[in-house]
Order: sequence, then structure tokens, then C-alpha cells
Amino acid sequence: MLFATFSVLPVFAGSCTGAETQLAQVSKQLTLNSPNAAENTLRTLSLSYPDCPEVVLQQARQAQAKGNSSQAAELFYRYTDADPNDSRGLAYFGRFFLEQRDYMRADALSAAAVEKNPSDPAALALRGEILIMKNQSSEARALLEKAIHIDPDDPEAQFQLGTIYDKAESSPDAVEHFRKAVSLNPRDARAWDYLALNLEPLDDVDGADHAYRKGLQVNEPGRYHDSFLDYNYGRFLAKRNELAASKQHLDRAVQLTPQIRAVWYERARLDMRMQNYEQARADAEKAAACTQEGGIIDLQIYSLLGQVYARLGDAALAKKYMDLTRETPPPVRGENR
Amino acid sequence: MTSRNCFTIVLVVVLAAPPKTLWGADAGRIQFENRQKNSGVSFVLDNGTLPDKPMIDGIPGGVALLDYDNDGYLDVFFTNGASLPGLVKDGEKFFNRLYHNNHDGTFTDVTDRAGLRGEGYSVGAAAADYDNDGFPDLYVTGFDRNFLYHNNGDGTFTDVTEKAGVTGVSSTGKKLWGISAAWLDYDNDGKLDLFVTNYLDWSFATSRVCGTPGTRLSCSPTLYKGQPNILYHNNGDGTFTDVSEPTGIAQHIGKGMGVAIADYNGDGWMDIFVGNDNDRNFLFRNRGGKGFDEVGVESFVAYTDNGVPVSSMGVDFRDWDNHGNPSLLVTALGGETFPLFHNEGNGFFSEDSYKAGIGFRSFKMSGWGAGIQDFDNDGYKDLFTANSHVSENADVDRQQHYRQANAVFRNLHNGTFQDVSSEAGPGMQIRAAHRGSAFGDLNNDGRVDVVVSAIGSPAELLYNTSPSNNHWILIRTVGVKSNRDGIGTRIKVTSASGLVQYNHVTTAGSYASSNDPRVHFGLGTDTVIKEIELKWPCGTVQVLHNVKADQILTVTEE
Repeated sequence: MLFATFSVLPVFAGSCTGAETQLAQVSKQLTLNSPNAAENTLRTLSLSYPDCPEVVLQQARQAQAKGNSSQAAELFYRYTDADPNDSRGLAYFGRFFLEQRDYMRADALSAAAVEKNPSDPAALALRGEILIMKNQSSEARALLEKAIHIDPDDPEAQFQLGTIYDKAESSPDAVEHFRKAVSLNPRDARAWDYLALNLEPLDDVDGADHAYRKGLQVNEPGRYHDSFLDYNYGRFLAKRNELAASKQHLDRAVQLTPQIRAVWYERARLDMRMQNYEQARADAEKAAACTQEGGIIDLQIYSLLGQVYARLGDAALAKKYMDLTRETPPPVRGENR
Repeated sequence: MTSRNCFTIVLVVVLAAPPKTLWGADAGRIQFENRQKNSGVSFVLDNGTLPDKPMIDGIPGGVALLDYDNDGYLDVFFTNGASLPGLVKDGEKFFNRLYHNNHDGTFTDVTDRAGLRGEGYSVGAAAADYDNDGFPDLYVTGFDRNFLYHNNGDGTFTDVTEKAGVTGVSSTGKKLWGISAAWLDYDNDGKLDLFVTNYLDWSFATSRVCGTPGTRLSCSPTLYKGQPNILYHNNGDGTFTDVSEPTGIAQHIGKGMGVAIADYNGDGWMDIFVGNDNDRNFLFRNRGGKGFDEVGVESFVAYTDNGVPVSSMGVDFRDWDNHGNPSLLVTALGGETFPLFHNEGNGFFSEDSYKAGIGFRSFKMSGWGAGIQDFDNDGYKDLFTANSHVSENADVDRQQHYRQANAVFRNLHNGTFQDVSSEAGPGMQIRAAHRGSAFGDLNNDGRVDVVVSAIGSPAELLYNTSPSNNHWILIRTVGVKSNRDGIGTRIKVTSASGLVQYNHVTTAGSYASSNDPRVHFGLGTDTVIKEIELKWPCGTVQVLHNVKADQILTVTEE
């Protein structure tokens, strides 16, 4: 499908003729987060096809994948200057800005890409992702569904659509798209993590375990890295009563994302189960001090600290946090059940 | 309000020379067979639903098992809804029903003769002998009316609600939305008191509409204020006094659903657990019969161990791991799991749903009725949940199902349970809008059966047909100084092979339902019980030795 997409770009027909297969392979390698695998081919192509803009675009993506931001930016500019109407170039450039956390430019480029070609899966996938970030889920869903209708083998569109269902707590639908995403791109640790998270509520415990493990195997720095994989797997292992293994992953989670309340909170809960109350106190207090909640609300912190101090026999602090627990209203859920 | 004035130790030798047996209980399959079809029980719970799916229509469905005519067999009472919004039982389909057990697997509808059709929108039922006359009476909760029916001993009941003063109206004059009720002797004075859970401050005038037209959903209870529970003290003269304020019950506003009682801290006074819907649960610790301290937060049962509330529905409060401390099972809605609060015996509970192996399985379930009972008579109590989502249109969400099969989790003797529902027979595969469930031995065969009410479909009579040859005993307590039913009596059974089990006399538990007052113990391969110790509410300790298995044993308080 990637080859098909590339081969119909007439503007490059002359300067890139003969390089289509290799360029499609490079594009796929970069999509699968394998910039090293693409490196030699791209070097050869750049010598053999010096005027082929597609080579420049893939070089830009390769530089991006290898973390060479300035070079990537320069190459993306060169490509889009050469062909400002190519939606795919705009989409890839937009994704570069997204990874740079330059959300305004990513937003603008994704919108422009879809405007140039409303049928470009890469443009639709990026725009869908950005609309998800802007909490425009229904619009995002429409674009992503269109993207995978055009190209069902676009792993990013499948992944992004999965996240929409995940957010809507529709695990069966989410699983469908995450399964597809990991089959298309087995190096996407995020997709493995999401797949596992959505298999859990479906009671596919072994499937979830497998997905977490696969995700951990490919969780390398780069676009598909997942900082919360150890956290999620640690929680999962705790549910399966594999406490020692759970601790290993939660230990790693607090190293990876120490600013997030949820990781300290979860490790404190595990400490409690392992009757390591002093460590639980330290972790729970860390959680309380974190400003980034990560989905953990004050009520949970108070409840945990109340239990920790009660276990430690510190009556005054236990009472303090139990009083706070009583005074803190439970979260208001949606109107429906 | 005295309690410990009759302390004695009584030793009774019932049988001599126990045969030697090895502990080798047949941990076989748990099987249930639904024998409703030819039973004569044609009850269908009618919630009077409306297109807008008001809060009230998801809530009904209590079941009570009581031997109202003292013939030795449990009879079955069902509560029913009413037409909406009028709240009137304006047709037979809304009548509450009492079915007499004919001892042959069939039942006869005796509702009219008994005078138990009821009025208004009924919800829960609780049976016990509140006036110690030897006949179980019946309390029925409801949205607009609560009733106390006195058993006249001749197959009829008399509505004594007003005279008794148990109308379910708060001290401010507002009728509260009664859900479940528990009979207990909270002050150990020999007379059963009455605890009533109340739900939401909801009315048709304030009713919200949720979901979309055509697929309306039950609204979240978080849209409404909660209500206080009520405790009535039995004055011993056929009247009760509302002691909710002086005992510290009324100050706690919740969204009460199920209620269960147990002496969780072993101090000789019955405590009360209330499951609140989307709010923190209450554990009312009995302060020596003088009042209650609400210690749900302090005991770690207010929330799950993740510090959040669930939609608590049904509850049961019994010792499932034979360590002597009653623990809790709570049913909740899909996506929440069914919390299992394990009583550590030190005032704390730990939430063990995942540790016990029911977390992942129950995450997909929505539960109402709940029971901790030994279904395979292997000496370890199993779990049963009556399942259904609250919203009739829940299936708009692919993961939720309105009609669900019930579930049974077998105790694996190591603190964990296994979901054996799919192998438990066709009766356990019936997908329906299950609500209340009551537990008891309908045919006196020593196996705990289950009666489950379901909205819009026939109630299920799930006879326990588990194939094991394990032995059992049912203990019926007759209090003398203690309340006549012996409710609150704590029983410790030590089998010949050495296994020690604990349970207590109560009819409370599950959702809006009332269970067999007889206490059941599975005995595995043991044909003799080495020792039965009964701690009566008034303080008497009575010990029986070498008791033969496979019998219904009546123990009268010495």
C-alpha cells in the first residue's frame, strides 16, 4: 500500500523513476522506526537519484527518527519548498513538529495537508491525531475512519483510531484497531501497551500479558516509545499477584516518569501489599507532592495515606488523612450508567 | 440494654466416639438446576418501566426465604414493582407474592390468603421473628411505603406498620426510599431491632432523563442527594422507636443498597455494613449496644483499595477463609469489579478482589444479589452473584449487557476463587435482568440453593445439584434469653478432621433480600463434627460435641 501511494505521485515520476521499490521500502522502514535499516539504502539513492525529491523527504524522516532535529527540519523545508502542494510532505513535516511539541505548527500543517489532499491517509492520520489532542473526538474519528478506509494498512491511523475507542472505554473496538496497528508495526510499543490495557477489561489476561511483554521488547527511544509501559505492566502484574515482578516494573516506572503522581501512587499501593509500610509512606508522600496527577485524584491519595499511617501506627497522621478522605467528595461520574 | 447477664458455658455430648476420617473433601463441580418451570412459581418481577427509564425502575427485586408456617421447609416471598408514575399495584402483575413450599419441589401461591399483595412500589424484604412468638414476620421496604407484616401463625399476616412505628419515614417526616433491611439485636436485649437502608432523594418531580431518546439509560446516582439509614429499636411490646439519631446512624448520609450484619471485631456486638451506590460504604461499629461509630474509612472498606467508590449493590458478610473473621463481598457494576474486603482481624480490611482471583472476571459483570455460601459442601465458602446491568439499554455500550448470567466462584482453599459459572449447569447460563437473590436449602438436602428474581422474566429456583458426596449440617438456633431466632449467634464448627469454620445466624445480606435463618456448614468427608460452639447474643457459650453430620440440628439456647 505504501508503494502504491508513492507510485502514483506523478511529480516525481521523472527524477525518481527506477527508485520506487527502494523508496517504498525505506518509507516502510522509517514507519517501523528502523532508521538504521534505511540509512544505507537512502545514501545509495541520494547518489543515484540526486534530483528525486522523495529521497529528500525520506532523508528528512530518517533524520527525525535519529533525533537530528535541525537536519530534519532543513530537509523538510527543502522538500516542502520544492513541492508545497504535496499533502504527504506537509503531513510528515507536521508530524515532525508534533514530536517537537510545536503544536501550533503541527496543527497548521496537518490542516493544510488535509486541505491539499483530503484522501491522503498520512494527512488524515495526522489531522486525526491532532484533533484528538484538541478533544474533537468525533471529527477525529471521522478522519481516521476515512484514512483506514483508504489505506487499512496505515498503522498510525489504526493506532489513533484505537485511542479514540480507548478513551471512550470501548475496549472491543479499541482492541480491533490496536491489534491491526501492532500487526502493521510490531515496533510500536505504544500500540502494544494500549492493546494490553484494552485486553484486560475483556478478561483476556494472557493476551494482555503477551502484549505487555511484546511492548517491552520493542520499547526503544523514538517515536513509538511508551514511558508508561512499565507502569501499566507493573499494575497488571500486581493484579495477577506477581508482586516481585510488579515491583521491578514500578521501580522502573518511577525512574522513567518521576514527575507523575500515578507511578508513585501505584508503587505505594504495591508496597502496602508487600507490607513494606515505610516505603509505602515515602512513595505515597511523593505521590502527594507531585503536581502532575496522571489520573490519580486527591481522594485516592488521602485514602492511601490514611491507610499507610494507620498501618504504621501513627494515629495523628492517620486521622488527618482519614478525615480528609471523609471530607473529599467522590468523583462525579458521567450522567449515564 | 444489658447484654452479658447470662454468661454460661454449656457442654453437651451428642454422640460418642467419632469415626476417624481424613480431610479429603470432594472439591467437585458446583452445579445448579433451575426448577422453576414445573414448580408452580410463576413470579415475574415487573418494574413498571417507562420510556424515560426513571431511577426507580432499575432497583426492585427482593426475595425472602422464610418458613412462615413452621413446617420445616422454606417458603418464598418476592417483592414487586408498581405501575409508574402512579406507584400503584393496579394489576396482579405488580403484586408481591408468597409461595408455600409443598415439600415436593412444587409451590402454591398463597399470597391472597396470607394478605401479602402489598401496596406501592416494593423493593426489599427481610424476615425474622421480631416478637419472639415462633413465627417469622416480614418487613417489606419500598419507595413510597414500607410495611411490617406480623405473622399470625395461621397462614395469614397482619399489616402492623403504623402501630409498630416502622413506616420508613424520617424524623423530618419524609418517606425515605427503602431498599434493604436487616433484623439484628444490636443491644443484645433479646429483641430484634430493624435496620433499613435508604437510597436517593429522588422523585418524579426531580427526575432527570439520561441517554438518548429510544435508548434512555439509568442516570447516575451522583445526580441526586443521598439519604440516611434508619435504625428502629424494638420496644418488646409490638412497637419500635426510631433510634437513628441517638445511635449515630442518621448523621451519615449515603446511597444505601445492600446491608449485612456480622460481629466483625469479635466483641460480642453485631456490626452493620451498608453498601452505598457510588459513594463510600459504611461500616457501623457497634459501641457496646449504645450506638454506632461509622468506621468505613478507618477499616478500609469505604472505598476499594484504589481509593474510589464503586456502585455497591449487594453485600454479604461472612468468613470465607475459615480464619474466624467475617469478610465482605460487594457486587457492583461493570468496569468496577466486585470488591472482596478481607477482614484481617485487627480492625483493618484489605481489598482482595484481584488477589483472590475475581478481579478480572468480575470487571465484566454487573451484580446485585450476593452470597458467601459453601455450595459444594467442602468446608470452604464460595461466592455467588446475581448479575445484570442496571440500565435496560446498557447494550448500547458493546461492553455492557443488561441481561447477564449469574456467577459462581468456587473457593480454592488458598484465599483464591475460580469462576466456575460456565460449568455450573444450564441454570447458570440464563441471561436475564437478575436482581435480588436469597440463599437457603429449599429441599433440606443439605445443599444451599438460590432463588433469584429477574425483571421481565420468571424468577429462577436454582436448586443446588452439585454432585459431591460431601457432608453437611444445618443449624437452626432457638434463642431463649437471646432473640428467638438466635440472630447474631456466632457458630464455630470443628470437624473431626480438624477443619475449623465460622458463621453466624442472620437473614440479612445479598441485595434487598432475606436468607435462610438456618446456618449451613459443608463438612467435606467428615461424617461427625468434633465440636460446635455457639456464642449466643446474650453471651451464653454453648458447646456440642461429636455431632452427627447430614442433619438439620435444632439448638435451643441453654
